[in-house]
Amino acid sequence: MKTSRKISARERQDAKVAWLMMSPALLVLAVIALYPVLRTFWLSLHEMSLKNPGSGYPFIGLGNYIEIFSDERAMTDILFTIQFTVVTVVLEMFIGFAAALIMNRAFKGRGLVRAAILIPWAIPTSVSAMMWKFIYNDQYGMFNDILYRLGVIDGYKAWLSSSGGSFMALVITDVWKTAPYMALLILAGLQMLPEELYESAKLDGANVIQRFFTITLPLMKRPLLVALLFRTLDAFRVFDLISVLTGGANGTESICVYAHKQLMSFLDFGYGSALAVLIFIVVFIISLIYMFFMGGDLAGDD
Amino acid sequence: MKKSMKKVLAVLLMLAMVMSLVACGSGAEEVPAAESETESEAAGTTQPAEESAEQTEPSGDAITINFAYDEGVGDATRAMIDKFNASQSEIFVESYSLPHDANNLHDDFVNKMVAQDTSVDVMALDVVYISEFAAAGWINPMDDVYTAEELDAFLPGTVSGATYDGTLYAAPWFTNASALFYRKDLLESAGIKEVPTTWQGWKDAYEKVKGDVDYAFCFQGIQSEAMVCDWCEFIWSFGGEVLDESGKPVCNSAENIEATQFMADLIGEYAPEGVTTYAESESEQVFKEGKSLTCRTWSGTWNVFNDEAESNVAGKVGMTFLPVNKEGDTGHSCMGGLDLVTNVWIDDAHREAANTFIKWMTSEEAEKEFTLISSQPPAVKAIYSDADVLEKIPFYTDFFSIIEAGKTRPLSPNYAEVSDAIQRNVHTALTGEQSAEDALNALQGEVEALSK
Repeated sequence: MKTSRKISARERQDAKVAWLMMSPALLVLAVIALYPVLRTFWLSLHEMSLKNPGSGYPFIGLGNYIEIFSDERAMTDILFTIQFTVVTVVLEMFIGFAAALIMNRAFKGRGLVRAAILIPWAIPTSVSAMMWKFIYNDQYGMFNDILYRLGVIDGYKAWLSSSGGSFMALVITDVWKTAPYMALLILAGLQMLPEELYESAKLDGANVIQRFFTITLPLMKRPLLVALLFRTLDAFRVFDLISVLTGGANGTESICVYAHKQLMSFLDFGYGSALAVLIFIVVFIISLIYMFFMGGDLAGDD
Repeated sequence: MKKSMKKVLAVLLMLAMVMSLVACGSGAEEVPAAESETESEAAGTTQPAEESAEQTEPSGDAITINFAYDEGVGDATRAMIDKFNASQSEIFVESYSLPHDANNLHDDFVNKMVAQDTSVDVMALDVVYISEFAAAGWINPMDDVYTAEELDAFLPGTVSGATYDGTLYAAPWFTNASALFYRKDLLESAGIKEVPTTWQGWKDAYEKVKGDVDYAFCFQGIQSEAMVCDWCEFIWSFGGEVLDESGKPVCNSAENIEATQFMADLIGEYAPEGVTTYAESESEQVFKEGKSLTCRTWSGTWNVFNDEAESNVAGKVGMTFLPVNKEGDTGHSCMGGLDLVTNVWIDDAHREAANTFIKWMTSEEAEKEFTLISSQPPAVKAIYSDADVLEKIPFYTDFFSIIEAGKTRPLSPNYAEVSDAIQRNVHTALTGEQSAEDALNALQGEVEALSK
């Protein structure tokens, strides 16, 4: 919808005031968000190892980026991160959707359930990762105890000592922590669905499953995609969970863990920044894909 | 309504994307808890941090020195600073306490040195970072501060740890070493009179007491700095090294492969399967519960093992050398601890005052006092036989010979990278993902690339 009429002087005045009032916020954003981003990009074009101040930090163009593609470790980490993202987000979507559908129904103690389900989400990730590390312990871990009592395993196992076990442990922990978040976002969407549609569908004789696939799912497309988008971006940037639970052992190093290592342990700010920018680009592409599926231009005016 | 919703979403989206970059860049603050715990334990800092010691004002025209240290030894350090300030009037030492976390400390110092900051004059730096700081030219040589006789007073391992490329860059302050803790009671009941010294000896002892304990050995095999210490000790016990005398990597030597394979083969049979996920606290827990015949950990744990409130094996614990492969060899334990260094950017007057302070702090008298307050193993040899100290910390009698034989981890200006390469490759050998030989060949390749 484009306005063809002329903008009045009054409106122009309003716009000026609006910009003026927004300027402090914009300035803060520029300082805390824009500057670090641009600076990171600028650093990524340099050879900059803090341990080697004698080098003078020369400009090397895209050298760091070319290095990433011949760095087997970076490639393995990206593949792992994608794998982790896909598995956790899909699981979280199903569990979150199911939980949201339950919480959307009227039952006794619903408020309590809604509050309780958020507890995993409210615990800081590094704390819950420490907690789960205890749970997976091979000597006194609860995970072993429960499986042992159920007869699933015949002895306590060191779950975090193999790559399969570590991957499973990370997925379980991440799903436990963030499925509630997904559920909450989906619940918000569910509550906006018009009740009349369901009533008329019921009158027309549609059963629960038909109502879900013809009303709930199509109408929930947008909220669901938004929830998925946020979770995908988050999952791709996974850092603290892995850092605490496995330390990147057994092939569970995410690309953020590697970038952090390059930056803060190896003090290679050039290469580390290039990795960070690469993460930014991947995240940007993921967002574009989601926006494409949402079918609208999220960022622009209609 | 719909349009504004979209705008809100768009803004949120942008924020989420931007945060992805910022979060990665600023990950510095989020030092992984597990790792930092390991680091600090390696440095042997187990003192609780408490606020104390008010600072008195500097008198008149005294020169002020800022001393940055780890809060893990905060109380003891402040007591020493106060004592130094009271002892003379030319130099006033201001205390600059940093959180009890070796990684954080390192990052803080690096930031300061890169920015040519002069807000700290003296820093307490973890021994493994001396080479890195010396190679980057961030700390002053200290060859002119100590005479050869004065250096003889220190444990030899601490001096070599403070030396980079033949030049002394740091003053050893306090140290730490690991030891093998074992169950005295079990050896006695099995009729074993002499404490075993070899791996085979301990395996044989375990066969005799198998009914009482589940495991013979317990150590740290988690992919972290803790494992690097353990692995170094294993290869040393087989006569191996990471770097040879000229600094050339020799990671895949026959001794190292044998030692690594031996270490991996212990897991599951003689040591818990979960050893590859254990840092210090997890392995100590197994020993405290009485499930293991021995436990390799830091000397300071002696008190914890003998604390009845916390340990099932209190009073039944002995301490000895780490096992070796061949009878007659000496077990070398891995040394940690903090050294004192001076900031390269400060002027000569401050540097001279800083050196005076450092010499005072590392004098026998001051180190004795510091040991009595902090229970940190001192760097000065004579203190281990001091009557007052032995009365408070009786195990120093046994411990001295262990720490005297201590060795430092490979001294490399790229220590962080070398350590990371060891962690990743050796861990794959320990979990059985690949053979010790393949893992060490890969490690050799990586360390060679770093040494170029």
